[in-house]
Amino acid sequence: MKIQNGWHLVKAALEGFKRNKVRSLLTSLGIMIGVLSVVLLIALGLGLKNYLRQQFESLGANLVIIFPGNISSSEEGGGIANFGPGFAGGADFDEKDYLSLTRISEADYVVPLFMKSSVIESETERKFGYFMGTNEQAFKILNLETLEGKFFTKSDLTARTKVAVLGQNLADGLYEDSKDAVGKTIRVGEQRFKVIGVAKKKGDREQDNGVITPYKTSFGTLNSGKTFFTIYLGTTDEKSIEVIKRRAEEILLKRYKKGDFTVTEQTEILSTVNQIFSIVNAILVAIGSISLLVGGIGIMNIMYATVTERTKEVGIRRAVGATQWDILKQFLTESVLLSIFGGSLGLIIASLIVLIVRRFFPVSLNLLAVFIAIAVSSGIGIFFGVFPARRAAKLPPIEAIRYE
Amino acid sequence: MIKLVNVCKSYFLGDEEVKAVCNINLEIKDKDYIGILGTSGSGKSTLMYLIGLLEQPTSGKVILEGKDVSKLSDTDLSKIRNKTVGFVFQQFNLINRFTVLENVLLPTKYSKRDLDFDPIKRADELLTHFGIFDRRNFFPNKISGGQQQRVAIARALIMKPKVILADEPTGNLDSKTGDEIIKLLSSLNKELGVTVIIVTHEKEIAKKTKRRIYIKDGKIVEKYL
Ligand SMILES: Nc1ncnc2c1ncn2[C@@H]1O[C@H](COP(=O)(O)OP(=O)(O)O)[C@@H](O)[C@H]1O
Ligand SMILES: [Mg+2]
Repeated sequence: MKIQNGWHLVKAALEGFKRNKVRSLLTSLGIMIGVLSVVLLIALGLGLKNYLRQQFESLGANLVIIFPGNISSSEEGGGIANFGPGFAGGADFDEKDYLSLTRISEADYVVPLFMKSSVIESETERKFGYFMGTNEQAFKILNLETLEGKFFTKSDLTARTKVAVLGQNLADGLYEDSKDAVGKTIRVGEQRFKVIGVAKKKGDREQDNGVITPYKTSFGTLNSGKTFFTIYLGTTDEKSIEVIKRRAEEILLKRYKKGDFTVTEQTEILSTVNQIFSIVNAILVAIGSISLLVGGIGIMNIMYATVTERTKEVGIRRAVGATQWDILKQFLTESVLLSIFGGSLGLIIASLIVLIVRRFFPVSLNLLAVFIAIAVSSGIGIFFGVFPARRAAKLPPIEAIRYE
Repeated sequence: MIKLVNVCKSYFLGDEEVKAVCNINLEIKDKDYIGILGTSGSGKSTLMYLIGLLEQPTSGKVILEGKDVSKLSDTDLSKIRNKTVGFVFQQFNLINRFTVLENVLLPTKYSKRDLDFDPIKRADELLTHFGIFDRRNFFPNKISGGQQQRVAIARALIMKPKVILADEPTGNLDSKTGDEIIKLLSSLNKELGVTVIIVTHEKEIAKKTKRRIYIKDGKIVEKYL
């Protein structure tokens, strides 16, 4: 009986919309735009998060990352602007730092990294890529796999052999087939390297376009300052992270001032970046909410007009036995349905946009966004519909029935 | 069935009190057939709304089957209107965006108890009985006044009420159609035993009823002048 009654209300409201298509559509437009923008913004926020996570997950787990400058400290006024090697000034790490850090017994891997963007030449092609000087453990912590050939070893490092491993994209650009690269010679600046391997593509721009060489080989020529921008400390045991961070700081403080370098772990960077994006997201959602609010007021406005238009109908219904609550439900059903209709339309359009944008950027919709869209639009329907519906319910039956 | 004891109803226009009806004492019995006669503005409609529980008195009591209705909630009053009262108005008061059938069915949508009949079947029976079954899917503005008033009577009857209250039911009809409507209402009283109250300012119509009440300036008087 109850359900039947509810269904009757929905059906009556829908028939009403059918007779007033244009007005119903225009009324729900505000909610549609509001939900559309809120859902898109959530999708964009999630997309950015996904993108960043992908970037970080291309590094192996349990990494301590050391770089010059300071991202986390407010006391130094550093902030995100100083993020990343080379921006901050601060310490220039050298081989001595690297070697001292290798004495941390809890760290299974210690990997120094020098990197600069350069033009890379084969016999026939010139491509833009990233020249990197590092050690043989880099392949481990970067999770690289060979597509062809092999990676360089510790003895290549000590012997300063002029060998290089190419990222798959770069190899593709320089040679007809990335597999042809092995055995060929490439040139970076004045320096020649023999290609001994190609690393499988990972989706990381820098690594996929990288020329990875033993760092000692690059000293004096491509890395004339003999410095590193980043030093990675890796462990297989998550529990050692804190110890490694503490000991790395102790070691570096012997040579550098506090604030000249940052010792952090990848999850910390991730959470800093996430924090910044949640603030940006909150602002965007607040903007979207304003259009929801405006949409809600639009619905309220139309519902007041509808109540006035149907004053006589209210009187008739009251005469044949409708209670105040029945009348309230009738008008509330209309405003909620209008609102949900607008919300669903917004959701559908947002989903289509997400499907299209997805080809270029990892935006995503989740159940939360869908839930929010529906909950918010029905909430708005109820909130803004309740005032006009109350007016209808409180109409004195006689005055309503005499209304012309 | 319904008793009015010293009932007054006033409307207030700002500070000014308009006494629409006052000192009404009246008893309506089962199967009554009453004509309420009076000039325009004498308070007939107000009296009818009081009897039909659409309006609460300013003073005095309306007693329905021994119970003072002033103590009832809006929900209770609505339920009683739904179950026991059927209204018929001068302007028909059908909902124009609903079809004839939907209008007739309207009271059944507000029945909280289970109906002891199939609403559509009963609506069709009533429409057939009143000769307008072929108009059941028409909108009210597409049928004649006489037909609209029959639809209104069908709507008033669908819940099997005890009393039909008709407020100048022929006021918007030509005399021939008006006579047919009055005949129809009379037959409801005779054949179905429904209490029928017809409000009118025409003596000729009031003559058809079993009992007449004359009203002047909001008061019941002995004789219609
Ligand atoms: N809502 C109202 N506000 C003020 N005065 C009203 C209202 N309704 C009716 N009246 C007044 O009450 C008196 C009786 O009205 P009514 O019952 O409609 O008379 P009738 O139906 O006999 O023509 C009239 O003088 C009318 O002007
Ligand atoms: Mg009247």
